[in-house]
Amino acid sequence: MDLIESFSIGFSVILGWKPLLIIVTGVVFGILAGAMPGLSPSTAVALLVPFSYTMSPALALILLTSIYIASNYGGSITAVLINTPGTPSAAVTAMDGYPLTQQGKAGKGLGTALVASTIGGAVGVLILILFAVPLARVALKFSPADYFALALFGLATVASMSRGNVLKSMVAILFGLLIKTIGIDPISGVSRFTFGNDMLYDGFTLIPALIGLFAVSVVFSKFETWTGVGRVMDKIDNKLPSLEEFLKIKFTILRSSIIGTVIGIFPGAGATIAAFISYDMSKRASKEPEKFGHGSLEGVAAAESANSSSVGGALVPLLALGIPGSATDAVLLGAFMLHDLVPGPMLFQNNPEIVYGIFSALIVANIVMLFLGLYGNRLFIRVVSVPESVMYPLILAIAIIGSFAVNGSMFDVAACIGFGVVGWFFKRYGYPVAPVVLGIVLGKMVEENFRRAVMMDGYGVFYRDKLAFIVLLIAFFSFVWPLYKAWRYHRQAAAAPGENEAKI
Amino acid sequence: MKKGCIALLVTLVVIVGSFSTAIAKFPTKPIKLIVYTKPGGAIDVFARKFTTIAAKYTDATFVVVNKSGAGGIVAIKYILSEKADGYQFAAVTRSNVGKIVSSGNEINVEDLDWMAMMVSDPEAIITNRTSPINTWEQIVADAKEKGGDQIWVGPAAGGNDHIMAMKTWNAAGIKAKWIPYASGGKAMAALLGGHGVVYVGNPQDVIGRPDLKVAVISNSERLGGDFADVPTFKEVGIEGLDNEILWRGFMAKKGMPEEAKAFYHDLFDKVNNDAEWQEYVQRGGAVPLFDKEDKFLATVKNDQIEFAEALKKIGAIK
Repeated sequence: MDLIESFSIGFSVILGWKPLLIIVTGVVFGILAGAMPGLSPSTAVALLVPFSYTMSPALALILLTSIYIASNYGGSITAVLINTPGTPSAAVTAMDGYPLTQQGKAGKGLGTALVASTIGGAVGVLILILFAVPLARVALKFSPADYFALALFGLATVASMSRGNVLKSMVAILFGLLIKTIGIDPISGVSRFTFGNDMLYDGFTLIPALIGLFAVSVVFSKFETWTGVGRVMDKIDNKLPSLEEFLKIKFTILRSSIIGTVIGIFPGAGATIAAFISYDMSKRASKEPEKFGHGSLEGVAAAESANSSSVGGALVPLLALGIPGSATDAVLLGAFMLHDLVPGPMLFQNNPEIVYGIFSALIVANIVMLFLGLYGNRLFIRVVSVPESVMYPLILAIAIIGSFAVNGSMFDVAACIGFGVVGWFFKRYGYPVAPVVLGIVLGKMVEENFRRAVMMDGYGVFYRDKLAFIVLLIAFFSFVWPLYKAWRYHRQAAAAPGENEAKI
Repeated sequence: MKKGCIALLVTLVVIVGSFSTAIAKFPTKPIKLIVYTKPGGAIDVFARKFTTIAAKYTDATFVVVNKSGAGGIVAIKYILSEKADGYQFAAVTRSNVGKIVSSGNEINVEDLDWMAMMVSDPEAIITNRTSPINTWEQIVADAKEKGGDQIWVGPAAGGNDHIMAMKTWNAAGIKAKWIPYASGGKAMAALLGGHGVVYVGNPQDVIGRPDLKVAVISNSERLGGDFADVPTFKEVGIEGLDNEILWRGFMAKKGMPEEAKAFYHDLFDKVNNDAEWQEYVQRGGAVPLFDKEDKFLATVKNDQIEFAEALKKIGAIK
C-alpha cells in the first residue's frame, strides 16, 4: 500500500518531542492569533515565516500549517464571546454564536465551534490526502464564467440571510459591493475612487472594515444607550453542548465540511465564502430555519466546520500544482521557496517526507486543537463575566490594535472607526451588517470573473458554458425562493388579518 | 604615580581609538531592509536570501521589514520619509518603476540612490505542455488562425509581463487578447486549465510545475541547466527581443554618508561573487547582473519611458 508507506514516512517525521512541541506551539499560536481580531490566518502564518527559516524544511512547514489550521478555529472564540470575528470567516460564526452568549449559553457556542472545527478540519485534510491531485485538475477546468456563477451564487445567499427585511439586506450588500470598487481596477489597472490617496490604492483592507462593522459598532451602540451602570451578564453557562445536541447537528457538520473543502479548492474562493454558502445551505436544509440568526447551534456548526475544512481544500492546489489558492497559501508558497522547495507534483516525488509530514502534522494538529480548545474554553469563557464598563473600552482598544496590526498603518485604524460608525448607523436603523462583509468579500470575484469571461468569449458565454448556466440558475432560484415564500406568507396573512396580528 | 600615568594613557588611547572607529565604522546598529510585499512573496524571499548570504561577510544585523501596499509606492514613500543615514534600504524590482509611472510620477527617481541591480529574470513565453499549442511556431500559427482571439494570460494590466506580451505581438506581427489575473499564480492556473494559450512570466515560474514549458526566452543566448533546450527569440526569427528582463536590486534614499555607501558597495560585490548566491540565482533561471548607481539609474529612466508609452497605449494613463 502506497498510502500507508507514505504515511509511515510522514509520521516518522513528526514523532519525537521536537516536532510534537512544534505542532503544539503552532496550534497555541494559531488559536491565539486567530482569536485576536486583526491577525488573520495569513498574517499569523506570515508572522512566523522568518522564525521558521532556521528550522529544517519539514519542521518549518509543519509549524506553519499547524498555525493555519488552528487560526481558522481561533477566530470563532472572539466571534462567539464578544461579537468580534477574529478572522474574516468567523463573521458568519458571530451571527449565531453571539446570540448564544447573550442568552447565557456561551459554553454551547464555543463547544459547538470547537467540535465543528475539529471535524471540519479533519474532513478537509482527509479529502486533501486522498484526492489532492485529481481534485486540483477538476478545479483548474473552472472557467472565469464558472467562477462568476459561483460568486453570484454566494451573493444570492443574502436572501436567506436576511431576517425579515430583504430590501435592507440588499442595501447592505450593495454597500459592500460599492466599497469593493474602491482601489485599483483588477482588469484595466486604473485606480478608481482613490482621490489620489495611496492608502486607498489597494482598497479598504477587509479586516479593519470587519472589526469596525461588527465590534466597534457595538461599542458605539453601548455608548448611546449607556445608563452609567456597568451590568455584568447575570448567568453564564459554560456547559458544553450535550451529546444529543451534537448528534442532532452531525449531518450539518458533515455537509458543511464537504462544502467547505470543495469551495476551498477553488483558487480565490476561500474560507469566508465557504462559511457563507454552507450557512445558507444549512439553513435551507434545517428543520428549524427560524432559529438561524438567533443562536442556532446548527448555524455555528455550519460556519465553523466549513471554514476549517476549507484549509484542507485550499492546500489542494498548493500542494498538487504549486498554485496558491488562498492568501495563506501564498505565504506558505513563500515559505517553501525560502527553503528552496517548490510545491507541486515534483514535491510528492522528491520530498515525500515533507508532503506526508505536513499531512500527518495536520491530523495531529487537529487532535491537539480539540484538547487545547476544551481546556481553553473554560478560560476564554470568563471574558464574558467582565463588567461592561471594562469590556467595551477593551473591545475598542483591541479593535484599534488589531486594525493597526494588519499593515502597521494608521489609515486602517481610521477606516476601522469609520466602519464602526457605519455599522452603528446600520444597526440603529435595522440594517444587517453581515451582507456588507459578503459584498466586500465577493465583490472582486464577481467583477473580475464577469469581465474576464466577457473579454474571452463575449456575453453569450453565460449560457454556452453549461456549468456556469446551471449554477446561475441555481443562484437565481436560491435568491428568489425565500422572497417568494415571504411574499406568499404575507399575502396569506393579509387575507386573514386576525391571524396576522397574532403572528407578528 | 607612574602606574597611574600609564593607566591614564591607556584609557585615553582606548577612548580615542573607539572614537575614531565609531566615525569610520558603519553600521553601528541594525539595518532595516524594506520589502514592498507581505512576507512570503517572491521579492521577500529574495531579500531574505540576500541577508543570509550577506551574513557570511559582515556582522551587521539586517532586519527585514515588510511595508506592503500600492505595488511598492508605500515602501518607496517610507524610504523617502526616513533619514538618509544608510540604516534603511529597500529591495526593488522593475515593476516598482511601472507603479511609479502609473501612480502619476509623484516620486522622483532622482531622489533615490539606485545602489545595485543584482538579478535579471529574462521574460519568458510559457505554454501548457499538454496543449497542442506549445511551441513558438504553433503559437504564431494558432494566433493567425484565430485572428486576434488567441488568449494570453498573466498578471495585472500595464505590468511588466503585459508590456512584454504587447512587444511580442508587435515583433511577430500577430494579434491576441491579454486577460489579466490577480496574480501570476492564478494566471498560471488558467493556463493549466486550458483557458489561455500563453502565459507571460519568467523561467522560475515553470520550476516544479512539469506541465508548464518555456516556449521562448528573451535573452541574447540560451540559459543553462533545465532551460538549455529553450530557444531564444533570435533563434525563432524575432528581432529586437533579446533583453526583456525583470530586474531585481536594492535602493535607498539619496545622500547617505560615504562610509555607509562604501559598506554597501563592498557587500554587494561580495554577495554578487558568492557561489551560493550565484547558484540561487541561476537555479531560478535568472542571470546574475551587476549594475551600480549611474548605470542602474539610466536603466530605471529608460524603463520609465517604456512604461509611460505602454500605459498610454492601453489607456491606463493620459
